[in-house]
Amino acid sequence: MNFFPPDLSAHYLTYLFVPVAQTIGMACAGMLLAFLFGTPLAIIVATRAPGARAISAVLAALRAIPDLTLAILAVVLLGLGPAAGIAALWIFYTAMIGKVFAELLLAAPSAPIDALRATGAPRAALAAFGMIPMMFADLLTFGMYSFECAMRAAIIVGAVGGGGLGTELVGTINALDYHRAATLIIVLVACIAAVDVFGMFVRRHPQAALVLIPLGVITLWIDRPQLFAVGHAVTTFAAMLPPQLNPQELAALPNLLWQTAEIAIFGTALGAVIGFLIALVAARGIVPLAIVIVTRRVLDTLRAIPEIIWGLILVVSVGVGPLAGIFALGLHSGGVLGKLYSEAFENVDRSPVASIMATGAPMPATVAFAIVPLALGPIAVNTLFRLEWNARAAAVVGMIGAGGLGQALFLAQQLFFYKTMAAYVAITWLIVLIFDTLGDRIRGRSITAMT
Amino acid sequence: MTHRLTRQSLLQVIGAGLLLGSGTAPVGAAAALRIGMVPDAGATQVSIDEKAPLRDYLTMKIGKPVELVIPTNYNATVEALGNGSLDFAYLGGLTYVKAHQAYGVIPLVQRASDRQFHCLFITQTNSSIQKLTDLRGKKFAFGDVASTSGHLMPDYALRNAGVDPDKDLTVRYTGNHPATAKAVESGAVDAGAIDESVYKSLIDGGQIDKTKVRVFYTTPPFVDYVWVARKDMAKADQDSLSNAFLSLKEPSDDKILSILRGTSFVRADDAEYATLRSVATQLKLL
Repeated sequence: MNFFPPDLSAHYLTYLFVPVAQTIGMACAGMLLAFLFGTPLAIIVATRAPGARAISAVLAALRAIPDLTLAILAVVLLGLGPAAGIAALWIFYTAMIGKVFAELLLAAPSAPIDALRATGAPRAALAAFGMIPMMFADLLTFGMYSFECAMRAAIIVGAVGGGGLGTELVGTINALDYHRAATLIIVLVACIAAVDVFGMFVRRHPQAALVLIPLGVITLWIDRPQLFAVGHAVTTFAAMLPPQLNPQELAALPNLLWQTAEIAIFGTALGAVIGFLIALVAARGIVPLAIVIVTRRVLDTLRAIPEIIWGLILVVSVGVGPLAGIFALGLHSGGVLGKLYSEAFENVDRSPVASIMATGAPMPATVAFAIVPLALGPIAVNTLFRLEWNARAAAVVGMIGAGGLGQALFLAQQLFFYKTMAAYVAITWLIVLIFDTLGDRIRGRSITAMT
Repeated sequence: MTHRLTRQSLLQVIGAGLLLGSGTAPVGAAAALRIGMVPDAGATQVSIDEKAPLRDYLTMKIGKPVELVIPTNYNATVEALGNGSLDFAYLGGLTYVKAHQAYGVIPLVQRASDRQFHCLFITQTNSSIQKLTDLRGKKFAFGDVASTSGHLMPDYALRNAGVDPDKDLTVRYTGNHPATAKAVESGAVDAGAIDESVYKSLIDGGQIDKTKVRVFYTTPPFVDYVWVARKDMAKADQDSLSNAFLSLKEPSDDKILSILRGTSFVRADDAEYATLRSVATQLKLL
């Protein structure tokens, strides 16, 4: 399984134009729809229009379905290709934008809004002339952030048949073509880096984001026959109801849940260890800047590759089974946590550190007795938050053969046992919902405790 | 009141959008025939490129542009036939039976070898496994869960030999045949079940080291792959596709036949799949 050298021939790179265009188009189209649907919903929620509470609840429920699970559903309902990817992104990000935009709009200063309301302005006007202009910068920041996430998601939904780079990567790995898989991983990391750079540019020149609209519209136009294949989607959806598991599947359920828990817990633990070790050599003030620059790029790369893509690479080397899932979550989480930990190290109160150093303590001792103990708070919070995220990731990463709920869901889909599949979707959804709620509670409590 | 109005207008907007979408859809879709193939050996731009001679041959024979599509998985291929995003497809036996049941797809042609297809059980050259019963307690790789030669028939063969895959084996689904070969070659599993034609092409192509793996069991013959049309496909197009395959002859069409990993084609019909159907039902895969 030799990944080197990657295939960088002009012949192959020209081939990649289509998958890259599909992936970018999918992200643009999905986000375009998400903004079109999410913004009005956010306004309804923020202005407390009738139905606001119901919409809020629906958005929260939708957000708890992992994007990859949505993508599987979309592939079943709409068939293969970017249309399925677009639909999955559309739903996931409509829920995300609906919720976060609503919160941002509500955070607008209340005095000007009250003044507007006093003039008898209708709700739409409150939003259009009050909340949106006042919160524009924040809306834009979050909008761009979610576009970056959508780009990553567009790659991973490809892995289950949504088209684009993800589909191509699964294909090359399945065909044992590792040199080309390596090329694809490079292209994928480059795409994500390009979107990051573009995001920074848009924050300074907001009008630049407008170029994404035609890209989205063109993709939607190309994929319109599938997006409107409503008849098939409805019959297939009907075939999923009611969700059910036979006695044998029910008996196997505790084991599936345990496998998923195992992937989430050990994956987070591995990520914490990797992140901690790299963070020690990625924090300014501990090591020279030259080293920091190098190690930060290592963390960026670990983070740029989504869990499911790590999983696909890893099943090749460590084989299928929970171990592949644990490593997949561990490597991605390592990148995320490494960055957060190194920032925590940099943000510690300098005076205790300085006094330890004044005693003539060498750097390792200073790190062990001053910097690390001082950073433990943020490290714990970030690790717990990651565990919550990984509960969701573990439920889907199983799909690549790592076991647990994800794999059960995928196998049921492959065998067309849609009622069974729907049951696993429902269980995944419940678990994520429980973890989200618990996480919110715990965070709420710890914030209260701190203040 | 406002509540109901909002919901009503929302529905109207969606409805209008749908009408607009379907109303303006051009008949362009009818211009090119979309032909799908299950990804039994991987799905990439390159593997489609490698099949370009097949696409060109079919375009010439049918007299219409042909587009080859290889979805990432078996399910997506069948759903695409169901929603009309594919016109024809190359399916495995079990996938065919499911697609026939769900969407009434029409069997057209198959390789002569598909009538007498085999699944091979492979292991490492130096392993102690010599027969199916030696597999008890071992790590075993099936291909895709919906594959005939990668899961259904080897599962059946194991049960007939008194080995219950659910209880006696630690089972992995690798997703496709080359991945199974790789898992056995690398020792990630002790043994695996693989499609005979894919195995041969992996060994011939050198992608799998023939000194590291060996075949220790071959299943009795069964019916496998078939080319199908979606049920509302025009009869004329069905016939031209069938004829394109039936007229393939050695040695003049060797290039295309090798892409298809076959030597000649015969007509296929649903009755051939009766045994496979009952096996699938028995194993609760249908």
